[in-house]
Amino acid sequence: MDTQQYIESGVLEEYALGILPEAERAEVERLASIHPDIRHELDAIIMGLDAYAEAHSLTPPPAMRDRVLNGWQQAIRNQGSKENAIPVVPMAAAPTVGPATAATPPATPTATEPIVRSINSAPEPIREAPARSYGWLMAASVALLLSLGGNYVLYNRWQNTQSELFAVQREQAQFATVQQASQKQLETQRGELAVLRDEQFRHVTLAGTPAAPSAKARVLYNPATRAVYVDVRSLPAPPAGKQYQLWALDNGKPVDAGVLAASTAAGEGLQQMKDIASAQAFAMTVEDAGGSPTPTLSTMTVVGNI
Amino acid sequence: MNVIPPEAIPSLSDEDLLVQRLRDRDESAMTLFYDRYSAALYGVIMRIVKKEEEAEDVLQESMVKIWNSFHSYDAGKGRLFTWVMNVSRNLAIDKIRSRQYRVGSRTQPLEDSAAVREAASPTFRPEHIGLQEMTKQLNPDQQQVVDMLYFGGYTQSEVAEELDLPLGTVKTRARAAIKVLSKLIR
Repeated sequence: MDTQQYIESGVLEEYALGILPEAERAEVERLASIHPDIRHELDAIIMGLDAYAEAHSLTPPPAMRDRVLNGWQQAIRNQGSKENAIPVVPMAAAPTVGPATAATPPATPTATEPIVRSINSAPEPIREAPARSYGWLMAASVALLLSLGGNYVLYNRWQNTQSELFAVQREQAQFATVQQASQKQLETQRGELAVLRDEQFRHVTLAGTPAAPSAKARVLYNPATRAVYVDVRSLPAPPAGKQYQLWALDNGKPVDAGVLAASTAAGEGLQQMKDIASAQAFAMTVEDAGGSPTPTLSTMTVVGNI
Repeated sequence: MNVIPPEAIPSLSDEDLLVQRLRDRDESAMTLFYDRYSAALYGVIMRIVKKEEEAEDVLQESMVKIWNSFHSYDAGKGRLFTWVMNVSRNLAIDKIRSRQYRVGSRTQPLEDSAAVREAASPTFRPEHIGLQEMTKQLNPDQQQVVDMLYFGGYTQSEVAEELDLPLGTVKTRARAAIKVLSKLIR
């Protein structure tokens, strides 16, 4: 079979969207199980849709958690009362079997029983056997019911505690992540501040060209360490698939100083660029994402001399 | 009743353990399930039914259905996430159909701007690919088609009719959109 043609037919996308009739679904699953390339393609499609679904994530209001979990539990208890009865019956029956069997054949074991049991209990089973066994049964049933009730209460409490624990753990993990992110941001900003305060850095103002008169950026250049940082004040957003690239001009020759990350171009912070040995000016052009070996002069957006 | 030691509490990647516990009919696993999946499910349900009370109902119905038909989940066929997402999505679509929402608001899902919803998400989720980033990669035509199919419960022919487009165009857009989405996470 031509699996490529099958993949191209679009049926896998329809499968993943859940819009195929049952018979065709089964066929897709069958083919996916025998052709690894179909399986692979199908998995990729499903992962893509899953990611799209997940990107819509919305945390429900906190109060909804208890309502939904309790509602769920009630729903499965109600519909499951029949099934639940099955485990309950043998459990209830089991303990009563003990006293009942011990009580029903009381006449026969009387001869042997006194040997094990205490002396005064031995004759009693003969006369009061029915009443006693009934009493035992009642007592055992009551005890069992109490114990079941108790267990139920404890079980619920345990479950609640466990859910609370999960919630707290989750919250804690979230705080840790947020904290880590803040810590990282703080370190970045400390680094930026150090660069800004460092007197070895020369501040080179890059002004907008006629193509983008309002564009403005700054290069911080340390000729001793060759370090170059770029600080964007305002740049027009680059077209899709394009990126800003910084150039150092050394004796009129452009030297690639690296491309600007989208966040840098948006003015979110300093970005360290490639080291530059010597330069008299800096300029930025718009190039294909990833950068270009030579500058496209017609897209020059900002330029400035040291 | 065995108390679960803390180290056995599934981490976010521990789907297998959760599946095992659900298979063992461990009710407390549903709490964990909620904590792990509710945001993803609720987001999609809200996207479909739009109203908080209805979304809550659908979320609860989803949990009941997931619990009751867990035996039909086959881990060999796909991830738990995919399965539970489809259960919730279908229940949500059934809900809007049963209330005949579509008569009154057929086009409503399309007006719901993705960017607005992204801003509404209150949780800090550094690990997930943002909706904005994903939709930025889709062109509006592709997004419209994939949203109608995935969130609207439309068939491709219904989309073609609704948008007054040839069926072939709808299919091409759907395929292209899904291709973009799967490329993003590959």
